[in-house]
Amino acid sequence: MGKDFHSMEMRFVYGETLNELIEQDPNVICLEADLSKASGTNPTVSSKHPANFLNIGVAEANMIGIGAGLASEGKVPFCASFTCFATRRVYDQVTISVAYANRNVKIVGTAPGITAGPNGGTHMCFQDLAIMRAMPNMHVYSPCDALELRSVMRHMAASQQPTYMQLIRSKVPKIFDTEYAFNPEKAAVLREGSDVTLVSTGYMTQFAVAVVDELKPQGVSVELLHYPSVKPFDAATLVASAQKTRGVVTVENQNIIGGLGGAVCEVLSEQCPTRVKRLGVPNQFGEVASEQYLFDKHGFGPKHIANACRSMAAERKSK
Amino acid sequence: MDKTTTQPAFDRAEFDRMAAEWRYIMTDMICRAGSGHLGGAFSLVEIVMTLYYRIMRTDPMNPRWDGRDRLVLSKGHAAPVLYLALAYKGFFPPAWLKTLNADGTKLPSHADQRYVPGVDMTTGSLGQGLSCACGAAYAARLDGKKHNVFCIIGDGESNEGQNWEAAMFAGHHKLDNLVAITDYNKLQIDDFTDTLLSLEPLCDKWRAFGWEVFEMDGHDWDAIFKTINAAIAVRGKPAMIIAHTIKAKGCCLVENKPESHNIKVPDQTTYDKFLNSLTAKATLPY
Repeated sequence: MGKDFHSMEMRFVYGETLNELIEQDPNVICLEADLSKASGTNPTVSSKHPANFLNIGVAEANMIGIGAGLASEGKVPFCASFTCFATRRVYDQVTISVAYANRNVKIVGTAPGITAGPNGGTHMCFQDLAIMRAMPNMHVYSPCDALELRSVMRHMAASQQPTYMQLIRSKVPKIFDTEYAFNPEKAAVLREGSDVTLVSTGYMTQFAVAVVDELKPQGVSVELLHYPSVKPFDAATLVASAQKTRGVVTVENQNIIGGLGGAVCEVLSEQCPTRVKRLGVPNQFGEVASEQYLFDKHGFGPKHIANACRSMAAERKSK
Repeated sequence: MDKTTTQPAFDRAEFDRMAAEWRYIMTDMICRAGSGHLGGAFSLVEIVMTLYYRIMRTDPMNPRWDGRDRLVLSKGHAAPVLYLALAYKGFFPPAWLKTLNADGTKLPSHADQRYVPGVDMTTGSLGQGLSCACGAAYAARLDGKKHNVFCIIGDGESNEGQNWEAAMFAGHHKLDNLVAITDYNKLQIDDFTDTLLSLEPLCDKWRAFGWEVFEMDGHDWDAIFKTINAAIAVRGKPAMIIAHTIKAKGCCLVENKPESHNIKVPDQTTYDKFLNSLTAKATLPY
């Protein structure tokens, strides 16, 4: 019997899955910048595959460059750090040495958004989806549970494309069963509904599922679309749902500018003009605080999602 | 396979002639484009020619040949001199040279492996190439491959902190298949390096990071050949060659002047002035 990945912290699922990928393809290399314990690869990968584990030190720019150099020789580097350091700190290195050069480098941003909690505002990156999405050649993924993470990683190892993935470090509830296979071109319709469309990704999907299930017996029928890939973005599924519900709510563990909500608005404004309410962090920096405090402060926790869906459904019914 | 190996046959007069020819052609390429990075390409002529004609193993018919030596031109703005070497070695038709920076060109201002056969790394944002070279050298070691990875960085580029991250990495991991060269022409865009942000003591800095350090006159054929071979022979640590060069060497109009970095050629008069300022004329291969 296989491991019960759903019962594990996501970072350890990342480490275990990297081991499997290395065993399938010795060209896969795990790169770290002195945060390997936080990423779940030390000792999981470092002890099992020391030759495929390379700790660069606290030098993220160098890690990205070394990743690009390894990729130029046919290696498949997975370069991990906190989201803030894996993206905004090294934005030019990723832009030029990876995306512009079209090198097969995998960048993994751990502890996305408010999940950086105890590390506070300096470490809370709310713009990684937005800035990575704005980069040509870059693919941007944000899996929501252990099974999807594994499926996304297998895709990354095989894809030959520059990729950025958000990695939730903690344990998260099971969303997908063993049948699920990640397809970057397809959103997952987790719940079908008719009154309002709720769009989520990554860390927020677990909350979105709970909210939708809670609203159903209250007479609010929510269609839940989960986007494991923010880029490429499956426009067709969104447009079909918006045509049906004519009201969309987005929720993301990010600034509402430019990320998932931004992608949704871009598609709908061009292809199917629809009312959209974006939930997330409203153009503010983070701070050291609990998840509940940040949800309440910025208005994107379960109760805010539920309220936004109710309002949007009511608005739609009143027309 | 027709792979170029180290060529012991060295004809000084022929190399002198070819160096003058490259400088003439590069000037014409840049003048046609209306502007371009002349100074930092000129300071590298003898070094790049020696690398491609006397040191590096390459296969122009198979630019991605796995056994080739790699070159990362981290100071990507010096691309014209790399393009000359690649065109002369037969990686692409010399006629491409006249398209430098033209609309739809395969030869952009900064070296780009996506378009140019024989370019091993896309560069242009200063400070990134040495990290990439470290990655390439590390990969070669993992796979037990015997080729060398060369990396040319600029002196102004050495202001970028990422170089020193890479320096620490290469020293720590004892990457002895990596040979770096600093084109120490003592000038950066705005001023002389010593005035703007002194690199000295440069040799000591690299030594302190665990590198074997050499110095050479970057325009002396014998010194270049001897020093690069000595650097290749170093075992147990990476090698840095500090090449003392003259920016825009051979173009008396701007030689050793800050304005040589990116010359502007707005009209035919300026075009003619630049061509006439060279020590020797040459026939253009296009």
